[in-house]
Amino acid sequence: MMSENRPNEKQYWFDQPKNVKLILRGLYVTCAGLFLADFFYHRHVDEPMEKIFGFYGIYGFVSCVILVLAAKEMRKLLIRKDDYYDSAEDGMPGGNAGGNPGGSKSGGDAP
Amino acid sequence: MIAEHPVIQILIPLLGAPLCVLTGRGVLAYWLALACSLASLFVATRLLATVMATGPIVYELGGWAAPWGIEYRIGPLNSFVLLLVALLGAMVMLAAKKSVESEIPGDRRHFFYAAMLLCQTGLLGITITGDAFNVFVFLEIAALSSYVLIAMGHQRRALYASYQYLIMGTIGSTFILISIGLLYQMTGTLNMADLAARLPAVGDTRTVLVSFAFFMVGVSLKMALFPLHMWLPNAYTYAPSIVSAFLASTATKVAVYVMIRFLFSIYGPAFAFDRIGVSQILGSLALVGIVIMSAAAIFQNNVKRLLAYSSVAQIGYIVLGISFASENGLTGGIVHLFNHGLMKGALFLVVAAVVYRVGSSDLNAFRGLGRAMPVTMFLFVLGGLGMIGVPLTVGFISKWYLILAAIETGHWLAVALVLLSSLLAVIYVWRVVEFAYFQPRDRDSDPVGEAPLSMLVPTAILVLATIVFGINTEWTVGVARAAAVFLLGGHA
Amino acid sequence: MSNLHPALVFFAGALLVAMLRGRAQALVALLVPIVSAWSAFQLTAGTEITLSIFDYELMPFRVDRLSLLFNYLFHIAAFLALLFAWEAGDRLQRVSGLLYAGSALLAVFAGDLITLFVAWELLAVTSVFLIWARGTERANRSGMRYLIVQILSGVILLAGAILHLRETGSLAFNEIGIATLGGKLILLALGIKAAFPFLHSWLVDAYPEATPVGTVFLSSFTTKVAVYALARGFAGEPILVIVGGAMAAFPIFFAVIENDLRRVLGYSMINQIGFMVVGVGIGTDLALNGAVAHAFNDVLFKGVLMMSMGAVLYRVGHVNGSDLGGLYKSMPFTTVFCCVGAASISAFPLFSGFVSKSMVVAAVLHEHHIVVWMILLFASAGVFHHAGIKIPFFAFFSHDSGLRVKEAPKSMLFAMGIGAVLCIGIGCFPQFLYARLPWPVDYVPYTGTHVLTQMQILFFSALAFTWLKLTHLYPPELRAVHLDIDWLYRRALPATARGVAMVAERVRLFGAGLALSFVSGLQQAGRHHLGPDGIFGRTWATGSIAVWVAILLVIYLIFEYGA
Repeated sequence: MMSENRPNEKQYWFDQPKNVKLILRGLYVTCAGLFLADFFYHRHVDEPMEKIFGFYGIYGFVSCVILVLAAKEMRKLLIRKDDYYDSAEDGMPGGNAGGNPGGSKSGGDAP
Repeated sequence: MIAEHPVIQILIPLLGAPLCVLTGRGVLAYWLALACSLASLFVATRLLATVMATGPIVYELGGWAAPWGIEYRIGPLNSFVLLLVALLGAMVMLAAKKSVESEIPGDRRHFFYAAMLLCQTGLLGITITGDAFNVFVFLEIAALSSYVLIAMGHQRRALYASYQYLIMGTIGSTFILISIGLLYQMTGTLNMADLAARLPAVGDTRTVLVSFAFFMVGVSLKMALFPLHMWLPNAYTYAPSIVSAFLASTATKVAVYVMIRFLFSIYGPAFAFDRIGVSQILGSLALVGIVIMSAAAIFQNNVKRLLAYSSVAQIGYIVLGISFASENGLTGGIVHLFNHGLMKGALFLVVAAVVYRVGSSDLNAFRGLGRAMPVTMFLFVLGGLGMIGVPLTVGFISKWYLILAAIETGHWLAVALVLLSSLLAVIYVWRVVEFAYFQPRDRDSDPVGEAPLSMLVPTAILVLATIVFGINTEWTVGVARAAAVFLLGGHA
Repeated sequence: MSNLHPALVFFAGALLVAMLRGRAQALVALLVPIVSAWSAFQLTAGTEITLSIFDYELMPFRVDRLSLLFNYLFHIAAFLALLFAWEAGDRLQRVSGLLYAGSALLAVFAGDLITLFVAWELLAVTSVFLIWARGTERANRSGMRYLIVQILSGVILLAGAILHLRETGSLAFNEIGIATLGGKLILLALGIKAAFPFLHSWLVDAYPEATPVGTVFLSSFTTKVAVYALARGFAGEPILVIVGGAMAAFPIFFAVIENDLRRVLGYSMINQIGFMVVGVGIGTDLALNGAVAHAFNDVLFKGVLMMSMGAVLYRVGHVNGSDLGGLYKSMPFTTVFCCVGAASISAFPLFSGFVSKSMVVAAVLHEHHIVVWMILLFASAGVFHHAGIKIPFFAFFSHDSGLRVKEAPKSMLFAMGIGAVLCIGIGCFPQFLYARLPWPVDYVPYTGTHVLTQMQILFFSALAFTWLKLTHLYPPELRAVHLDIDWLYRRALPATARGVAMVAERVRLFGAGLALSFVSGLQQAGRHHLGPDGIFGRTWATGSIAVWVAILLVIYLIFEYGA
């Protein structure tokens, strides 16, 4: 999290890299603590899978990474320009009739 | 006094017409026509009340007993249609003054009002009479006067539209006349009740079969059933706005009434539905018509024309209901006949108001009217909701019974298509709304004001009726159901 | 004791508000839910009003514990939305918002399917103006698509209701089930409103196009009415467990790459409804309570999130993640409230999402639906990822975009603040919510296991985010459109129609006749054949009509002799 240097502006808390680092350290420590808590706290277990040490933490981490990487791949397939739907007719006789009721509208960019 | 009501119903407009001509060019003709229309409405309400309270009225014209004389026979169905015609006649007439002054040249106005009254006479006569030949006579009166009315439209194309309507109307009437002639040949009577009694004996003869075919085609032309509707869009588009409003809400409905009457109380359901299977032809034409004509309405650029196509589609609903020949189907068809008359009358009156203020019924003319004519456009939106069939409007009630009947008789395609056409209706109503509310008026056009009160009030009454009868259906559905039971019972 | 239908108060209020202007308008609009609540919160289960209308016995007003819960919820939601609208609203939005909220109340008190249908259509018709009020061309079109889909849902509901009447002889809105065709159609109609997979695109299409106020209203009612109806009509249908699992999982992929932050919230809304649908599908007391409790909480925390994004939209003019960042400096209060909403939706202990989502997950585990349970865990991690971190991070922190705007107006801050307090309140004192749940509650959310496992999932998700971000594996926010299922009707269908029209045109050139032109009646061909110059739209030569007359006559004669 960088800041654009504006000489006259007040420095905000996150503008200082050391504060950001502090937050990150806090996160790492908490994660480690929660992971190790499985040693000390006996979780109530319904499913055999849950018995795996650190199951919830690992599951959360792995699924998020998969989620993001899969979404990234999906984006390649689905991405279109910002004005994709605005560029031509929308296929709604009611929606686009305005302004050109004359009828002889060209088909636009039929693929 | 009550006993004389049936003939008074016809006499009021019939005598009013020549009086209108006699009054000359002044404004008197209008007030006379209005008085006649209101009186006619009053009589129609009394008649319906009497019929619902005490059962059918039979009135022998001139004291000659049927089958020699002409008799008027008024049951729940025709008193209901009478009320529709008289109500729309009166409401349209209330709104007429300013619109007619702007669309019809001064030296022809008294003829215009006379023709309106004659047209009412014809439509009321068709509905009230119990004599087959008399139906033809009144059909001609109504038709001839409506040719004149349409030809009075100020665009030149009105003349062509009227001409085409005349040719088609004449073919239609001729076919009906041929059919009645053939029936007379086989039975020797023109009285409907008598015909019904004598027909079964000769039901299998070629003559009766041919008469049935001629009648069905003739009446389909008259009621503009797809694909014999082509005269209608032009006629409604180029006629004077007031005439469009009156004809669109009554003329085709009366033709539908004639079909119901002939199918159920002359030929009889046993002959028409069981022997010939007219359901299949009527039902399929109606369904194709509903979908194609609703779709066609979407693509129109003139609001009158858009409404005209929607009318053809709506006739499809009515005919669809009739084609089921079941109690719910007939109830739906008949109640929609009435409901659609109310809605279309209201919508065409809105267009009349726009034409009066802006001078055109083109979609472009509606730009920005949501701001300029807020009340008028609000009434259009309410009426449009009815066309779509939104709950709490009459359109919903009709569709409800139609769908119920379609499900009962296992016509799944019909269910799907009726629902689909509601979506199409959303689109064509929306097109008008879009122009009125989401498009600005041209900057260089003249400022436009709200419609005059004389046009708003009758429109509002009709719109209010579509909502009142959409919520409290007891009365409309009650009368329609009584009529359906009556017809299926095989009575005249 | 009162049995005044709260919907009537809202409708009457809308009428009054329509006639007022300025501050009086905003004030009266804000008073409507309060006045209504004064009588509606005294309603007691068991009140029923029946009514005979066209031959059928209807029950437009039925009060039981399930409808009462949603009654409380909708009053609170309407109040918050109208408070949020104090400065940013206008007459159109206040009136349609009130009518819309009233319609939602009409729906939850509906004791029969016809009343439900009426409410269903009213929900569509009244809410679309909240989209159109944005005034842009995009919003107009999007609103129209929204309206058509919603009306379609109503039409299907009506068809289902009529079939249900035929099959069971009853119009009462109780348990319906999917054994019959009518039941299946009703489920489909509900599914559209609840944004089931493949039926969901109207939501992510339309909600982000509405006004700042509009989206707050929209996100509170339509889908929650659908969840309510599912809970009443389809509790315990196994298919819903699968559908709900899919709903919880698939939107989060879209949410990760989407740039418009209100659209991200739209996807996360589908994800949250997925949890509710799973709960309804499981159908045990615990699961159903979890589903409706989660609906309750979702309205509140999603409301807070939508309000915070609405406030950003109001001040900045857009909510594109790619162009925001560093707003915590200029909108500190909004930032804090947004974080509370984010913590709630992520189900942090002591925040509202935790006490309801854990009920659903626990119920799934009780019934040993292992696959669904794993999907829900995945979805829990995912929702924290995209709604809990992504929304606040890209809007308020991230790299400084240089935007310096004013803090949100006080009215908006109050609305968000009340919402945030409720989120924390319910999270800390869940017994107040549990006491109002429709089914008996025997559940303790705060056990060591629950808290520990939830914290493990959440913090390791955060760790994953941090790691991906620091290693630049995380996909950047891009100004772009990502295709969703609505591509089918926005692009593929019109293109197909054009293709069919083109083919039909060629076939016609070869003289193969009219038959195919019927088929091509969609877009262009529609205009071509149905427009003023088309076959069905133009003026016909009189002769050709005569030909039709002859054809029809022949058909009748053939038919008669054939008969």
